[in-house]
Parts: sequence; structure tokens; C-alpha cells
Amino acid sequence: MSTKHSKNAEKFLQNKEMVKWHDQTLWMVRAKRDNMSRELPEWEHLRDMASAIKMYSNSHLDLLLQEFERNAHANGAHVYWAKDADEYCSIVYNILHAHSVKRFIKSKSMLAEECGLNEYLEEKGVEVVESDLGERILQLMHKKPSHIVMPAIHIKKEEIGELFVKEMGTEPGNNDQTYLTHAARRNLRRKFIEAEAAMTGANFAVASTGECVVCTNEGNADMGTSQPKLQITAFGMEKIVPDRESLGVFTRLLARSGTGQPITTYTSHYRKPRKGGELHIIIVDNGRSRILADKDHVMTLNCLRCGACMNTCPVYRRSGGYSYTYFIPGPIGINLGMLKASLHYFDNVSACSLCYSCQNVCPVKVDLADQIYRWRQKLDGLSVASSSKKIISGGMKTLMEHPHLFNFALRNASLVNGLPGWMVYNGLNDWGKEHDMPKFAKESFNEMWKKNKVK
Amino acid sequence: MKVGLFIPCYINAVYPQVGVASYKLLKSLGVDVDYPLDQTCCGQPMANAGFEDEAHELAKRFDRLFEQYDYVVGPSASCVVFVRDHYGNLLAKESHRCATEEKIYDICEFIHDVVKPVSLQASFPHKVSIQNSCHGVRLMHLSSPSELNIPYYNKLRDLLSLVKGIEVVEPERPDECCGFGGMFAVEEHAVSGQMGRDKVQRHMDTGAEYIVGADSSCLMHQNGIISREHLPIKTIHIVEILASGL
Amino acid sequence: MSSREDILQSIRRNTQVRYERPDLSSLEKEAVTYPDKVRQFCEMMKLMGGRAIVVEKGDDVNEIVRRQYPDARRIASNLKAVVCGGKEQPLTCATFHPDDVENPGELDGTDLAIVDGQVGVCENGAVWVRQDVEQRAVYFISEALVLVLDRKNLVNNMHEAYKRIDTGEYGYGVFISGPSKTADIEQALVMGAHGARDVTVLLV
Repeated sequence: MSTKHSKNAEKFLQNKEMVKWHDQTLWMVRAKRDNMSRELPEWEHLRDMASAIKMYSNSHLDLLLQEFERNAHANGAHVYWAKDADEYCSIVYNILHAHSVKRFIKSKSMLAEECGLNEYLEEKGVEVVESDLGERILQLMHKKPSHIVMPAIHIKKEEIGELFVKEMGTEPGNNDQTYLTHAARRNLRRKFIEAEAAMTGANFAVASTGECVVCTNEGNADMGTSQPKLQITAFGMEKIVPDRESLGVFTRLLARSGTGQPITTYTSHYRKPRKGGELHIIIVDNGRSRILADKDHVMTLNCLRCGACMNTCPVYRRSGGYSYTYFIPGPIGINLGMLKASLHYFDNVSACSLCYSCQNVCPVKVDLADQIYRWRQKLDGLSVASSSKKIISGGMKTLMEHPHLFNFALRNASLVNGLPGWMVYNGLNDWGKEHDMPKFAKESFNEMWKKNKVK
Repeated sequence: MKVGLFIPCYINAVYPQVGVASYKLLKSLGVDVDYPLDQTCCGQPMANAGFEDEAHELAKRFDRLFEQYDYVVGPSASCVVFVRDHYGNLLAKESHRCATEEKIYDICEFIHDVVKPVSLQASFPHKVSIQNSCHGVRLMHLSSPSELNIPYYNKLRDLLSLVKGIEVVEPERPDECCGFGGMFAVEEHAVSGQMGRDKVQRHMDTGAEYIVGADSSCLMHQNGIISREHLPIKTIHIVEILASGL
Repeated sequence: MSSREDILQSIRRNTQVRYERPDLSSLEKEAVTYPDKVRQFCEMMKLMGGRAIVVEKGDDVNEIVRRQYPDARRIASNLKAVVCGGKEQPLTCATFHPDDVENPGELDGTDLAIVDGQVGVCENGAVWVRQDVEQRAVYFISEALVLVLDRKNLVNNMHEAYKRIDTGEYGYGVFISGPSKTADIEQALVMGAHGARDVTVLLV
């Protein structure tokens, strides 16, 4: 009984030191989030309102997106609609191609990851430079993010030090984080200035103003978009919010939940193209409108991509982002992967002890654990349920539906040194890898009751 | 007021003393307790593993077995909350109106919220560390979840405060999951084991002699780890402490 | 059919229940406020890795800037003067206007930029900077940033802030809360990732 996730997790857990560091570091972020939330007496009210705004906006996408489009046009922006990843990639490419762009700088965008934008553009000869430090490190290492907010959380500074010697000419052996960060600052400064176009994602798109809001700590989105005059901004359509009043709610929650800061360093509002420049905005569906019809999972569209559910997830902290097969890990990733392609990503559904902590930290109250529970119910129908789990469940069902069998098992349980058949049944020996078996009582409660021993 | 005592399958088989303590405790508080025979399992293990449909018959049996009582009370927060949160839906699929979902209580919750004793005879001169179980905390609201910005409360601590001589503490990360999660412990045994070892360590770091909880399943999991690693701490169900001296 | 129409149709087809828009007024009323806004803002700026200096009547703004940034040589500003305690002080420490450059890249190497902020938020130390120069790069590319903010424009929280901001004729504005930072290498906090390494808010 195992899944790709459980096997990958087992590998990750072999490096005890790394696991401990990973768990403690992310727990520290969770603890910072807790402290931040306690600074605000109205915290739970904020979460309620954030969730309610998302329920409103995601059930009025048709109206809000058109309102956004009208306002963006009035601001002088170009607006595109992309049905899927391919269309999104080709729109970006066509814009770059029409402007003969060869050097392209990007700030972090989970949508770009989702759609494989970098690979697409590089194949067509466009040099893409990631400007978020974590993303840049991974890009140079040819690796993928393992966390949506802290993408390089799994990389040690020694590896980065070595990488920067090669890529940025830093002193060998100097792995000081400040030194390395400032080396990247100098190195990327040139890339910003030489770029011919800059791209950002968006944390929020505001219908009433037609502006896109981007939150960063590094200032990389702004460094990029204030150099070249060609700006592309793309967002998944669930990023739409009705107005600035709603931004007041979300900007209070996002960084507090995600990184335990009261707000990100930069919260940038892009409304018009630069003087003499161009602003191209791409609204992307890529399966989102389909989710609207799925009442069991529609709330995933509330997600702000803050990463809080990863930081609190006891499984994520001890198995690492790469143990999941979908590019977004953790509780939200389990659900988004299943929505993307159940038959591809069902292995992640095992990565949950149903502790429900994720639901409590989520700033927009996505019912993450309830959804995972629901996915588990659907695996059998998809013919991808674990066969041994099915056998155990079936065995238990038979046993439990027949009290005489259960009582018989209870009477004989203690005769077996260890587990009786109904619990040992297959696969359960994995229990023995971590634990000793529970010892069965000489007399079950049933027996005692019948013998009038319970008084 | 007639109470039907619900003894979950693994308590029946592995921890019958928890059942006995539950019975004695309720009796001592003047509750009229009955134990309907032929109880088996609530169906949660199958449902959490993804086979909710296999719990339909069990839910029907359970509901019939207990429908005659004013309250159903069991010493397992997780099993109880499964009945409370899922039976309505499960039985609706069988066109059966659930009678028990609204009157089922975890024993701590029942004593704390319904019986409300101001004193107990119990004495337990030991230091104990509370195992705040996930379903107890986040689904049954036995204590304030660490994630929410709401005032602190803990019904287990309230009840333990009635015990003479006891010292009650909570571990660092007071309600982080211990890693049991039913078949999760088997399917994801590596992560589950690590979670369990971390949890037991945090309980030990408090200097407690016992890990005390309202869910024998969490305790069973941690006990397996304690025994495997020969660790100097024991587990005990809260009713065993509350019923001590009876 | 265009993708636009396809998408809109798919949205309409799949939308199940239309939820009401929530009324935020009770939340906004309940939101955190601070009895001493100046003090709260100063504390928050410190927490965010920057500093706020309360400029009293009679203080010389140019001197404060020079004291704070003694090594700054290339100082950009679009401000001719700073109004402090009702009195206008000419800003003489700046060495050039950011719009004097042709390309924003030429702003690289700017030691300090001194610009206006319109609203300061006490709950998080953020200052709203509405673009009012052509080269907004100056807000980010300069090694250090001084934001001049009238303390009358301090608000308690983001709800209040969003009622007061606008993106002006350039159609751009940004909340800046302290220096640029990153923790992308092993979660160690480092100031000066891409933007300003150092931020001072002058509360006038």
C-alpha cells in the first residue's frame, strides 16, 4: 500500500537533518502567521469577509471580467482572453515577437508555471530571466519550485554559493546569505536594465478600475516593469475582485497568512501603460470555468496562493514539495492537481492525515481537508483506489456488519500475538515499520459486559 | 435521561478499560447508562480511506441501535464526530433519516457541557501532557484551535482541573497532528511515523509522565512509537483519570 | 467564436449559485485603530526594517537627510520644497530630477531618492506612493529611499487607506513598506533584494 507521494516522502525523510530543518523553518513561518493574526482582533471577521467576497466574485466572473476589460481598455491597456495554457503561451509569444523581444524579464507567476511559459518561450528563442531570487536560483539550477511562496526552501545555501561562483563570479566558499543576495542584486540589475519586455502575474485584478495588483517583497515586479516600456500581465480569472474596497480586505490577509508579515514590501497597482509604453493584459481560463460547475470543489477558486496551508500542513513539512506530483504541493495542490487531471495526480490524495489545520489557516476559508476527503471517496470510481486499502475496507465492512463475526474476532484477538486477521490483513505490516503493534486485551469490553464485569 | 454508551471497535478490542472507566464515570455522575450489545464500528476507517459507501450499512445499524436513547456517548472524539458530521449524508443516500447525529457526544464534551459536575472524586498525582486530537479540536471544538484568533479554552483541561493532585500541561505546537489518521498511518507510514515521533518528543519535553487524550486512536499510535523506541512516557485516556478511585 | 466568447459562455454555463456581495461596513468599523498613530507608525516602520523620523517644527529637512545618508552623492528628487509645520523648506540636498534622464537604466547608481508619499498606514508601515514622475524606476532602483509624508495623512488600516488613494495621471501607485527584502536563501532575512536597501519616512 503506497503512492508516489508516500514513496517520495520516504526518500525525503531519509535526510533527517534536512527534514528537521524543513519542518522547523516552515513551522516558524506558521508561528509568525499566528502572531500576526493575533495582532488583529477582527481577524476571523476578515477571513469571513474575504471568503464571502471571493464567493461573490467567483459567482459573478462573467460580469466582473467584462467590467475589468472595459476599464482596462479605457486605461489604454490591451486585453486578451486565453482559453488554455497553449493560447496563453502563444499570446505572450506573439506580443514579444511583434516587438522583436529577445530579452525578457519575469517576476514570479504561478500561472506561468502552470502553463509552462518559460519552456515554451525558450524553445522559440526568447531568453527568459526569472527575477524573484528564489525563482532565479531554481532557474539556474534547472529545478522546479517546491513551495509556491518560498520556491527555493529546499535548497541549502552551500548549493547556492557554489552555483553563484559559476554564474555570478562570487568568491568560492562564501555562502553568507547577505553576500549571495547582494551578488544576485548586482547581477540581475543588468538583466532588468537590458530587458526589452517585463512580465508579471497578478495577485488581484480589480474590476472597477481595470488595474492589476502585484505583491512582492523584493521589488522585482516593479524593477522589471519600470525599465522596458513593454509590460505583460497575466492572471487566472479567479484573481478578479470587485473593487478597491475588497483590496482593503485581501491586502490585510495575504502577507500575514503567507509569510507572517503585516504586508508585503511592495503592493503595486498597475492601471495604465507607461508614457509611450504598452500594457498587455491576459485573462486566463485554463480549466477554471469548468471548476465553477463542481460544487464539491468550487471553493478552490477562492485561493490567494498565500502558501499558508503548506506551512501548517504536518505532512508537507515532513515530506517536502517534491514529494507531490503536481507543481503546487500541500493541501491546495492536492486539490488543484485533482481538478486538473485526477487520473494523473491522484497519488497526492494520500498526503493528508485529515487534521484540518489547513482549513483553519486559510485566509479565504477554502474547505481544503473536506475536499481531500471527498476526493478519496471518488478514487474508487476513477478506478485508482489503492487495492489493498479496498481489501481492508471491504474486510472490515464484512466483519463489522456481522456482530457475531466481530465478537468472534474480539474473543480470539488476544490469542494472536499481535493483530488479529482483520487488522493484519495485508499491507498493514507497514504499521510495523514505525510502531509496535497494539496489544489486544485478554477480554474485550463486550466480553466483560456480557460477563457482568462492568460495574 | 437515558444514555447509550458507544464503545468504538478498537477500544472494545484493545482498550476495554477505557470502556469500563467511561461506564463507571457516567454512573458516578448519576447518569442512567446502558450498553446496547452488538456494536461494532462506526465506519470512519473505511470512509477516511475513501470507501464511505462501505459505511452505509454500519451507519444504519448504528443508528437503529442507538435511536432509543436520549444521548449517545462515546469515549472517542474522532468516531463521535464522524457520526455527527457524516451520518446525516450517508443515511440520506439510503433514504433513512439519521436519529443519532444530533444526540451523540464525546464523553468529555458530554460531561463538560451537559452534566457539568463541579467536583469529581478523582485523584491522579502525576504530571500529564494533553493530546489535543485534531478531530477533537477542529471538528468537535473541545479546545480552541491554535490557528484561530479566538479566546483560549480547553474542555479537557477544565475536566482535569477537577482531579486532585494532577499537574496539567500542553506540549509546544499544542494541536499539531500526531500522524495517526487511520489508514494514513499505513499508507503514509514514513510521514506518519515521523509525525508520531515528533509528537511524543514534544510531550516528553514538557516533563510529563503521561500523554492524556480523548482519542484512543492517537494514543494507540503514539503508544506504538513509545514502545518501539522505548521512550520514558506513558499514554492514558482521559476517562481513566477522571474515573480514578471509582 | 472568439476565446473571449467561449470563456464567457463557459462561465455562464458553469456558474451554479450567484452569491450576494457581502457588506464590509461592520468589518471596517471594527477594524483596528491606534490611539497614537505617529507612535504606532514609527514602531511599525522599525519592524519592517525601515525607520520613521518625526520632523519637528524648526528641524532642517536637508540636514536630517544628510545626517541619515552622509555618503549619498547622487540624490534624485522631484520635490522643490518640503512643507514642515506649515513652513516651506526648500529641498537643497537633491542633485538631480529623476526625469532628467532619458532611459530609466541611467538611474542605476542613484544613491538616494527623495519623493512624496500620500498616505501612511499604521497597521503595517506602508506608504502609498502615487507615481508623479515619468521614471517611476526611481522608487525602486535607488539604493535608499526617503518618503516625505504629512503625518496628518496617517490612517489606521488598509480599509481607510483604500478610501484615500488614487493612481493619478500616470495610472500607477504602490504601497511601500520598508526596504526591499528577501528570505529566499534558507529563510534568512536580507535587506536589499532588488529595490531600496534602506527606507526612511520623514513624518512632517
